[in-house]
Amino acid sequence: MGEPDTTRVKTGIQILDERLRGGFPRPSTLLLFSDKPTEKRLFAENFAVEGAKTGETTLYVDFYRAPSLARAELARFGKFSLDHLVIVDAISSQLLVPSMEKYSVKDIGSLTGITDVIVDAIEAERPARIVIDSMEFLSDRFPKEAVLSEWQRIIEAAEATQSVTCFLFINWTYHERDLGTIRAMSDFIIEFQSSMRGGILRNSMRISQMQEDGIRTNWIPYTFKDLVGVTVYFPRILVTGPFNAGKSTVVKALCEKSISIDRMGTTVAFDYGSVNITGIEAEVFGTPGQERFEFIFRIFAREVSGVLLVVDATRPEDFERAKYMLELIGPRIPYVVLANKSDLPGALKPDVIARKMELPDETPILATVATANSGVRDALLILAEMIIGVR
Amino acid sequence: MVDSLQARLIGVLQELRRIPDVVAVALARRDGLLIAHLLPKSMDPKRIAAMAAAIVGTSEMAAGEMGFGPFFQSIVDSEKVKMLATGAGEEGILITMVRTDANMGLVLLSVGKAVQSIADLMETAAQEVGT
Repeated sequence: MGEPDTTRVKTGIQILDERLRGGFPRPSTLLLFSDKPTEKRLFAENFAVEGAKTGETTLYVDFYRAPSLARAELARFGKFSLDHLVIVDAISSQLLVPSMEKYSVKDIGSLTGITDVIVDAIEAERPARIVIDSMEFLSDRFPKEAVLSEWQRIIEAAEATQSVTCFLFINWTYHERDLGTIRAMSDFIIEFQSSMRGGILRNSMRISQMQEDGIRTNWIPYTFKDLVGVTVYFPRILVTGPFNAGKSTVVKALCEKSISIDRMGTTVAFDYGSVNITGIEAEVFGTPGQERFEFIFRIFAREVSGVLLVVDATRPEDFERAKYMLELIGPRIPYVVLANKSDLPGALKPDVIARKMELPDETPILATVATANSGVRDALLILAEMIIGVR
Repeated sequence: MVDSLQARLIGVLQELRRIPDVVAVALARRDGLLIAHLLPKSMDPKRIAAMAAAIVGTSEMAAGEMGFGPFFQSIVDSEKVKMLATGAGEEGILITMVRTDANMGLVLLSVGKAVQSIADLMETAAQEVGT
């Protein structure tokens, strides 16, 4: 593996870091943006702690929380040395209490005074990562032109020290044109949204690189767990396919702990398990294959993140049924085809199956042997990449 | 707004949990995903949500197939515990586990009230979010 790459900083979310070719390049400016209040801070905190964990200096500018509270909340993301996390205290002067921090804002009414403290801290600490939590604090209080020019000053100071800077920003007040200016000052935009369906809240984010031909992802659902931090989260990966293709075996192979509701060797209700690999967490649901259990299939075939379609490579007569099951789930859902039982005599090669099934070009199809746990994990990783979608 | 829905749903579950002989309660969505739960550590809430969805889906199907009219709830009757899986509005399933010797009149009445509150809360929230 060689030396760690010091020209990039990792997000700590493995699958994203791979997509970003090792992380965000140093220096770069990230805009963590939403137009409604949503969870942006989780990502920023995760990003800050990830740096402190790996021994990089991280500067956290906080306008809202007492430094002791900020440290306590950051500790939820895992263990790190406090020396690596430098807080710029921008709250104590608002509360008229003395600050115990090395860097603190003295006069919250002076925009240039605030920026001076931040820039001084950047120049003295030369941090790998900076989090400004948040810019709407400034945009709510000071004139727009002044805020934009101070924003630019922070970016220039951070570029001089090769830092990656996260600016948290909710837009309450600015027009589209000003947003355009802010976007143009940034190298990456990470947008956040929350949505609720049927009582369940989902958070997702999308990363776009501003340069031409830059990276751009789909909306990536994520979740947060204490001490683990932010992980990519797929609430439902559906494992489906015709009768006796090996769906339950695929679920078993993917998940350390799984359950199967089966009778006489066939699934009558469903299989379920959860997977946790390379920064991805997913709930895996296996459906019955037989037509008479289709009503069960319909219960679980809702809000599907992606599909692993399992076919028996020795039974081309079932391919039609497999295609029909895909249609039942609905259009525009990413899927990977598993040509299972590929070790059996007479098993068709993936390209032959793709032709017989008339799959669209570029549909991934993998030869698998679920009983030997061969190819199954690769199929899930390919599916995860399709859902995250990088171009 | 969304967090407060979660808190209010938990409130309904807590109220039901306080009825004598009720040992555990959870709320799942009809497609088998978990919304909220007050289950003991020994149970896996996500699995239970998935199973309840399968039970309710199958029962509802059976009731429809046999022309019994609208489905209300399924009861799994076992040696130690009865589990009620009750439809709560369009989207939800209320899971209530009670000791076998519980006063079922009181339990059913309380479950009936709880599903009504849940249906109202979820409907209001859906309108607020506009989906």
